Amino acid sequence: MRTAAELNYREKGIISEIDFSHPSSKRIMEHGFTPGQTIELICKSTFNDPIAISIRGTLIAIRKSEAGCIKLK
Amino acid sequence: MITSTDLKDPLITLVGPPNSGKTTLFNLLSGKNYKTVNYPGSTVEYYTSRILSKFNIKAELVDSPGIVSLIPESIDEKVAVDSLYSHPKLGTPDLVITTIDSCQLSRHLLLPKQLISAGFNVIIVLTMTDILAKRGLKISERKLSKALNCDVVVLNGRSKQGIENLIQATNSNLERIGVTDKKNIIPYNSLKNRKDLIDTFKEIEEIINDVYENVREDEKIYLNSANRELKILQDGATINGFTPDEITLKIDRVLLHRFWGFLVFIVVMGLTFTSIFWIAQPLMDLVDELFTNLNSLVLENFEPGWFTFLVSDGIISGAGSVLVFVPQIIILFVILGLLEDSGYLARGAMLIDKPLSKIGLNGRSFVPMLSGFACAIPAIIAARTIPNRKERLFTIFIIPLMSCSARLPVYALLIAYLIPRDKPWLGGILLGGIYFFSIVSSIVVAWIINKFSKRIFSAEGSSSFILELPSYRVPKISAVINHTYNSSKEYILRAGPMILGFSLVLWFLTFFPNIDPQVETEGFTSGQIQNLERAERLEHSYASDLGKLIQPFMSPIGMDWRIGVSLISAFAAREVFVSSLSLTFKVTSEDDEEHSTLLSSLRNAKKEGTGEKLFTVATSIGLIVFFIFALQCLSTVAVSRKETGGWKIPLLQVFIFTALAYLMTFITVNGLRFFGIQ
Ligand SMILES: Nc1nc2c(ncn2[C@@H]2O[C@H](COP(=O)(O)OP(=O)(O)OP(=O)(O)O)[C@@H](O)[C@H]2O)c(=O)[nH]1
Ligand SMILES: [Mg+2]
Repeated sequence: MRTAAELNYREKGIISEIDFSHPSSKRIMEHGFTPGQTIELICKSTFNDPIAISIRGTLIAIRKSEAGCIKLK
Repeated sequence: MITSTDLKDPLITLVGPPNSGKTTLFNLLSGKNYKTVNYPGSTVEYYTSRILSKFNIKAELVDSPGIVSLIPESIDEKVAVDSLYSHPKLGTPDLVITTIDSCQLSRHLLLPKQLISAGFNVIIVLTMTDILAKRGLKISERKLSKALNCDVVVLNGRSKQGIENLIQATNSNLERIGVTDKKNIIPYNSLKNRKDLIDTFKEIEEIINDVYENVREDEKIYLNSANRELKILQDGATINGFTPDEITLKIDRVLLHRFWGFLVFIVVMGLTFTSIFWIAQPLMDLVDELFTNLNSLVLENFEPGWFTFLVSDGIISGAGSVLVFVPQIIILFVILGLLEDSGYLARGAMLIDKPLSKIGLNGRSFVPMLSGFACAIPAIIAARTIPNRKERLFTIFIIPLMSCSARLPVYALLIAYLIPRDKPWLGGILLGGIYFFSIVSSIVVAWIINKFSKRIFSAEGSSSFILELPSYRVPKISAVINHTYNSSKEYILRAGPMILGFSLVLWFLTFFPNIDPQVETEGFTSGQIQNLERAERLEHSYASDLGKLIQPFMSPIGMDWRIGVSLISAFAAREVFVSSLSLTFKVTSEDDEEHSTLLSSLRNAKKEGTGEKLFTVATSIGLIVFFIFALQCLSTVAVSRKETGGWKIPLLQVFIFTALAYLMTFITVNGLRFFGIQ
């Protein structure tokens, strides 16, 4: 299954679930990453990490290691 | 002090998601001037104030740091949640006003929903509606209020529009609640369950589908023409998913470009630091002239004697030598303020997260470190936004290495000394170079200290970087100017008394105990007699006794006890160094001219005994290097103790950075000499 960390530049995806075992999962959900939401990878930083994802109309910068717990459909 | 009448007044607490406009509203209601910044995490401490009497609400108002939810992850969030559940002084709030960014309704409604189900009395304030209106949308207060069962008020924090409605809602809420009511606040533990989060967001999505409305035709006249193009966003399908601000996306295409992004970052930072010098130069000359004139006025109108020396050499030159650098500090604050309010800082934090994480820091360390270039004290407190304890302590550890504004006078003096007068641009480059060197060396130091981080910080935990990137906004100039004014005033008020105090102490040390020296007067002119008296007086002064003690430490780095005395006084605050230097060297200067500037007395200063030039290129650069590394600020030590909760880190900082400063100066001075630069 793909995760948000594997999105390409300007690619969209729909969240299927959040991996609860990740220590950041609660904070990620509090920021609005919940199942069913459409996300889009807006840009990547120069070193490819962190990435900026658009969620619910806001840009959130997040490390790839953390975006990895956002599972996509 | 809380008096009994105060306690009877209701307590209103402002909480809300980061960057939603809490502090803007707090300033509006209280008439205070706390800093507002377009960066999530600008407030890290709670503030209390009475509400301005013109609003007719007798209540205590609290501003708090931004929180995403009621379960805190970092210290600033804990401050906010604590101020809700058990304010250290005031208890539980009677009323909670929560600010919500109306462009981010579907994320920001989480907090009010949690607050309401925890049992707080809540008023929701919708901020940034002006930005939403530019997208052709507005939120129905009535529908939202019905869906959440609490009052909803629209307010523009920048233009103050809508404030009457908030006052009205606050008053009617306070009446309804009754101040004596016991509140039944449920601790928010249930949210530990992640399933609840999903359910809450589902409820929010249902509410959201209902509350957005198009800005009515007749209201559209108030919007400026550019917004009409953005009307595309009105079509229903986008409302739920809602795309980020178009202009922001366009700007980010460049500023967060994979290749250009980092280059732009470096250019922005570079311009910030080099511009300080060349923009300020004409202003500095003006202030300098003013004080030189003031000084000659004193010398012309008073009898030469100890009192005149004290006033002219000590106080006027001392104050002048530091005030000369106020323009630079103002410019630094203005540039940082513009950067902060534009929304770029969060991008900077994102771009530098990866490199910083390699040396054990975090992207969130960036903003505290950058504000460390203005002053280490607020910077150390700002590190509270870093959730991971080890990264937070490490950031605090490294902040004193950022070249704070108190070091500017020292650098500027030595640069002015080093460069030819007709080439001010060289000064800008040199200052840029100093900042560059100090940044590079703090990276190296951080990298080395990171190797011992387990020993020093004894804290682990997972590292995280999740940061909201706010929409770009045209900086609010009045807020930037206001903040610059306050910080500069603070700088002068802090440095002023310190300079006066040290001038007095130093003057005392150089004049006593031999106040009336006996010298051979026959065959000398009065000017020469004065010089002889000075030399004689100084030789047997307390200062020179003290100096002989530190001379052994100063000789290896090519300096003498007079610089040493100034360096010691700089430990109270770095600004004092320049004024101390000015006093000691004027008192000890052998040149006849009374009106000599600090620069010329430095040029003429000779080493005692050998008569060699004291301020050579090598020693001047050595001094700059010393100031880059040394931790010479007692307030920083005190704040570091408070924020790290112990003496271990502040003491290590003082010891490591001072030893490093001495070592690096030794290497620089002797290295330069080895290559033939005296
Ligand atoms: N356009 C617009 N800008 C606003 C409004 N309210 C606040 N701002 C701006 O939004 C930014 C953030 O405001 P702050 O008051 O610092 O936000 P805060 O909630 O205190 O933020 P933190 O302390 O970081 O949690 C500033 O640049 C303000 O000038 C508003 O109603 N409209
Ligand atoms: Mg604030």
